[in-house]
Amino acid sequence: MPRFLHTADWQMGRQYGRFAADDAAALSEARFKVVERLAQLATDKKVDAILVAGDVFDAQNLADRTIRRTFNALAAFAGPWILIPGNHDAALAESIWMQAARLHAIPENAHVLLEPGVTEFAELGFAILAAPLTQRQTHDDLTAWFDTAQTPGGLLRIGLAHGSIEGQLPEAADSSNPIAADRAESARLDYLALGDWHGTKCIDARTWYSGTPEQERFKDNDAGQALIVEIDHPKAEPKVTRCPVGQHRWIKLHQHLAVASDLEQALQELDALPAQSVVDVTVDGQLDLASFEHLQQALGAAGGRQRSLVPHLDALRIEPTEDDLASLQADGYVGDVIADLRERQQADGEQAETARDALVILAGMLRNRRAGVAK
Amino acid sequence: MKLDYLHLAEVKQFRRSLHLDGLTDGINLFVGPNESGKSTLVDAIRAAFFERYKSGSVDYLQPWGDSSGAPEVEIAFDWQGERWVLNKRFLNKPRCDLKVGNEHFSDTDAEDKLAGLFGYQFAGKGASRPEVQGIPGLLWVQQGTIQEIRGPVGYAGDQLQSALGTSLGEVAASAGDELTDTLEKQRGQWLTRTGKPTGDYKTAIDASEFGRSALADLDAQITGYHAQVDELGRLREQRRTIDQPQPWQAERALAGDAQNHLSEVRGWQSEQRLDEGKLKTFERSQELCRQQIQGFDADAKRFAKRAATKAKAHEEVGNFEARLPQVEARLTQANTAYVEASAAATQARQQAGRARLQADHDALKANLVTSGKTLKQAHELQKALGGLHEQRQASAIDEKALAKLKRHRAKLDELAIRRESLATRVQFDLLSDKSLTIGTESVTGKGERLLLETTELAIPKVGILRLQPGGTDIAELVRDQERVQAQHDGLLVQLGIATLAEGEQRVTANKNIAGQIEREAARLEGMVPQGVDTLSLQCDSDAARLQGLAGKLEQLPEALPDAGDEAMAEAALATAQTKLKAAEQAATELKQALAMAKQELTRASEEWEQLNNELESPEHKARIKSANDQLTNLNAEAASLQDAIVARQQQIDAAQPQVLQQDVERHTRSAEAMERAAIERRQAIDRLEATLETLGAQGLDEKRDTLQQEVEASERRRDELARRTAALNLLLSLLKDKRQALTRQLQAPLQKHLDHYLKLLFPHASLTVDENLMPQMLTRRPTEGTENGDVENLSYGTREQMGLISRLAYADLLREAGKPTLIILDDALVHSDADRLAQMKRILFDAATRHQVLLFSCHPDNWRDLGVAARDLQTLKAATA
Repeated sequence: MPRFLHTADWQMGRQYGRFAADDAAALSEARFKVVERLAQLATDKKVDAILVAGDVFDAQNLADRTIRRTFNALAAFAGPWILIPGNHDAALAESIWMQAARLHAIPENAHVLLEPGVTEFAELGFAILAAPLTQRQTHDDLTAWFDTAQTPGGLLRIGLAHGSIEGQLPEAADSSNPIAADRAESARLDYLALGDWHGTKCIDARTWYSGTPEQERFKDNDAGQALIVEIDHPKAEPKVTRCPVGQHRWIKLHQHLAVASDLEQALQELDALPAQSVVDVTVDGQLDLASFEHLQQALGAAGGRQRSLVPHLDALRIEPTEDDLASLQADGYVGDVIADLRERQQADGEQAETARDALVILAGMLRNRRAGVAK
Repeated sequence: MKLDYLHLAEVKQFRRSLHLDGLTDGINLFVGPNESGKSTLVDAIRAAFFERYKSGSVDYLQPWGDSSGAPEVEIAFDWQGERWVLNKRFLNKPRCDLKVGNEHFSDTDAEDKLAGLFGYQFAGKGASRPEVQGIPGLLWVQQGTIQEIRGPVGYAGDQLQSALGTSLGEVAASAGDELTDTLEKQRGQWLTRTGKPTGDYKTAIDASEFGRSALADLDAQITGYHAQVDELGRLREQRRTIDQPQPWQAERALAGDAQNHLSEVRGWQSEQRLDEGKLKTFERSQELCRQQIQGFDADAKRFAKRAATKAKAHEEVGNFEARLPQVEARLTQANTAYVEASAAATQARQQAGRARLQADHDALKANLVTSGKTLKQAHELQKALGGLHEQRQASAIDEKALAKLKRHRAKLDELAIRRESLATRVQFDLLSDKSLTIGTESVTGKGERLLLETTELAIPKVGILRLQPGGTDIAELVRDQERVQAQHDGLLVQLGIATLAEGEQRVTANKNIAGQIEREAARLEGMVPQGVDTLSLQCDSDAARLQGLAGKLEQLPEALPDAGDEAMAEAALATAQTKLKAAEQAATELKQALAMAKQELTRASEEWEQLNNELESPEHKARIKSANDQLTNLNAEAASLQDAIVARQQQIDAAQPQVLQQDVERHTRSAEAMERAAIERRQAIDRLEATLETLGAQGLDEKRDTLQQEVEASERRRDELARRTAALNLLLSLLKDKRQALTRQLQAPLQKHLDHYLKLLFPHASLTVDENLMPQMLTRRPTEGTENGDVENLSYGTREQMGLISRLAYADLLREAGKPTLIILDDALVHSDADRLAQMKRILFDAATRHQVLLFSCHPDNWRDLGVAARDLQTLKAATA
């Protein structure tokens, strides 16, 4: 009863320019960790082989250290790793796979299939029909030849490919590297392990995208998992189990503050976020000064709990109340300035933003001054 | 407040005392010349208020000439319904007393009470200084300082600010200014004073720009890398499909085939060249044969030409010989004609001479008949002379003719000599018994003859030798000699002499007689006055001469009736001579031509003979035949060779050696090109593999991502700071604006008073004050446009005026705030012109409706129209004294 671990789209070497340097480093690091976890999971689940359906690397030209660390991360699983290149790491005339080979980084048990063809693992009971990408993009279905490929009877026919299943994916914009939706059936495959789509997705009983094991973008498509696939015998329906392996969830929040109670709810949502997530929060609407301070404290606190929290407050307007002003003791012409800034927030775009910033700065300074005086 | 009286004692020039009372509200004008005590009054008032009574620094108040005096000042004024009387004594037993209504203060209490009311302070030590003089320092203006406003206003600042109300003071003191400072400091971290990025902000901007450009470089590198990868793939595909089958081998084989065929054709071509060489040799031999045959033909032509030449010479000789008799006959004829003409001429000359003698004779005879009658009458006297004349008549001779004769003689002698030299000389020495005939003369023995013409020499029993003298001159010479001889002989006859010598003797004799006659005639003329004898003498001489002429005529031959004219005969002779000469020339020429023609004939005959012999020889005929035979053989051989060459050329042309050569080159080059391309491709692949391996090891994509991460961080920082600085700028400008607006609002009362005075001086002008209430900017509208001027930079006079106006405005402000105001002006406005001064008087008058003003001046005229009576200090002093 062969059992596989199906994964894809590791995108090793990806970096995260939009985040602060330490967050970016941690997110890059997480990709190595997740491969280590995959190896451990495979060992724990006693799988026969790990299928990696392309885009192992995020780019062709990575530092030697990144390549070595990637293959080092495979150590915890001693069985065969069967890998194909995807569009990011296509087997071009010169490719990262050649660089890896030159570095002697690829361990014995890693089978990198750079050319289309059938590879038999007879003692394990299956044959792999691999359709690696040898170009960055193609408009031919590289799996077409699976239909006529012969494999010894008694071995499972396992397809391994990277591309877009036609007519199934929400974003059909990327129509390159097409794969026929009924390939598993037409090629009499027992299972077709796919890569390219970063969320876990079941096309049919025998055709699955595993998705990336470690989420790397704000798209709520069930990423951060690997699949355990069990097939009793040829032609038996596979049993597919989802295994969460990702470390960081990527969450995008949008809070609109219209009335005072909205803030409470927003803060609760912030509190409820799973720890170590990557969070992108946009807050708009309007707030009084006290609430704004409250919000900022809450965002700061949430930032401490999360791997990364990036707030977007550009569209948020601050409306100081009389109490705010009284507490700031902003009398005389400073009061006039505050009034003017409130006025200016009504303007469009950048001007309003600048006025808001100025108001926040002024409020902060007045608060500090008041605190200083109190001392 | 109103100052009521002022009392001084022992102060400077007021040694005893000066009492000044009756001071009024409004303006009090004090005038007097220098040193009249104006400044002393001012000094006393200032000392009374500003200096501590115990102060030692007021010794300048000592009465003049008395250093032990005790200067004393008493001032009384009313303020808010109460009378204040200040009495202060300095230096000697100093004290201070102040009565306010019923209250009494003394010493420092009194002084502090006053200072509190007027708003000034005392110096901690020493004399009072402007810094502590506060409001009075501003309003009590000392001589020459009215234009100085900055210092006094500053020292009175607190009091002025408080007069404007409490809030103005708080403008600067409130949170706003502190905020501004803090914000400025923050802004200073990121922006320079001029608003350029600096510090962190600049670093972030620079890093962003640098990062972006580095990123672009990396992107270009990566794009290049991808292109190279694609190129490598393409090259490998080409190597597999193009180079692996080694297509150049096939091309090489084709080149070999073409080369073999070409070599064969090259063999034919070299045979062809040999045959063509041989053919050329044949053609040269043929040419030689033809030339030889042509030589034979030329010989025949030459022979024909020689025969013709010979015939022509023969004909020429015949022609000349035929003409010869005719020419000789013409010569003989001319000769005869000449002899005849010569004889006729001789005769004509003789006849002419006779005729001339006859004429002389006849004329003389007629003359003699006429003169003989006259002569007889005077004959006696001339008898002696007559003899002489007779003698002279007898020996007279024609001297001209004689000279002519002489020339002929000389010519004849010359001709005889020439003839001697030219004549053919025949010398003979005959045997004694022999003789021969020369011409017509028979000669014997030994002798010599000169032959002048063709002479026959007849030798008996032998024949005749005809001797012909050479040349043409001899005959001509003989003829000249004969002609001259004839002329000579004729003259001898004419002159009646036998020889020339006779004639010359006669000339000499005649001359002697003539001399005698002259001498005799002269003697006769002496004796007889008139010359009748001359005539007689002439008659005799004529008679004698006539006799002589008759004698001569008798010796001459008879006159011939038909004798020809002498000149015509001479002419006929000349014609005959010319003709003869021509005939002789023609004969000579013909003979010469004939001789030459004969010689030519001989030469032509010889040449013809020579060639004829040569051509007719058998060897010559054999040579002609041999040449013709050889040519025939050569023609045949050349023709057969030509055929062979044509046939082979067709074979060669059909093979197209040039195309074959091109084939060889084409296939060879193709092979080379293919192989080279394959090698280059392999090299390119090696190169690319090496390059890509190196590039692959650089981790470009990862570098790029790292860099992008850095760039984005820089840009985030930059944008953050841009927002931050924009907010700070906004805040700062708002704070400044709002503060300014507030200040302006608070200063409004002061501004009102300023404007009130200013419009009296400059209509439509405005004067701003800064936040310290200093006059700052005067804005005027002269005729057109606007003129701005910092108060500090105005003219001295205008600054004076502004100084006064400002002080009056402050006084108004203080008055409204319930403060006492007293204005003291010592010699103010001395620099103002008449117009401005007039305006300033209006201003002062206006101010004086609200304030008491003490005005001191040494120019009473300037202030006459101020509306108050001036008090003369000198008068006052005198009254007191």
